[in-house]
Amino acid sequence: MDVFNIMVLAIMIAGAVAAARTKNLLGAVIIFMVYSLMMAILWQRMNAPDLAITEAAVGAGITSILFIVTLRKIKGMKK
Amino acid sequence: MKSSIAKHVSGLLLPFVQVFGIYVILFGHLSPGGGFAGGSILGASMILYRFVYGAEASDRKFKYHYMLKIACTALIFYGLIKGYVFVGAFLGWHNPVGTGTVGSLFSGGFIMPLNVLVGAVVAITFYFIATLFEEGDFGNADPHQ
Repeated sequence: MDVFNIMVLAIMIAGAVAAARTKNLLGAVIIFMVYSLMMAILWQRMNAPDLAITEAAVGAGITSILFIVTLRKIKGMKK
Repeated sequence: MKSSIAKHVSGLLLPFVQVFGIYVILFGHLSPGGGFAGGSILGASMILYRFVYGAEASDRKFKYHYMLKIACTALIFYGLIKGYVFVGAFLGWHNPVGTGTVGSLFSGGFIMPLNVLVGAVVAITFYFIATLFEEGDFGNADPHQ
């Protein structure tokens, strides 16, 4: 556990709390994307590149796309 | 979405994304990745094409009944090959493919065909899920049936 992993973990904890507490829905989705990307970096740091690829493709890509499409459908985005 | 910048940038970007997805699928038994990861990358590229170029162009390029036939055929072949591997390992049958040399592309027996089938199913399923989220149903996606 070196300093970089602890920094990534701190960003993940802050992102999780911020995604739950923010009022802006699009901002919450983007913070969730940052959380997922930090998770992918942490998988790579822990010598699991297979999980890192899957997390970056599914967690930061597909899930965020589906969240944003849903926001556009329910008109939750503020101009 | 009618944005000229998005169309040009995604037109430049999509071939590289798809080549990377195919690479991750084909080299799943040698390097990190595999059917699910590469299939999700391919599905993300198809979703990007649909959101940038519009639903009509995407329905013309990725036809609904065609994609459904590919996905169902891949599932059936996955069941057959995986069942053959399980039963053959249990009964001690001879492996018709062989193991190949370690590190080459055609090695690892049935792993690469299974990865290709899983990648096809996952890519088409992600594309259909995004289509369902956007449209609500497949109402006008299938003019041929």
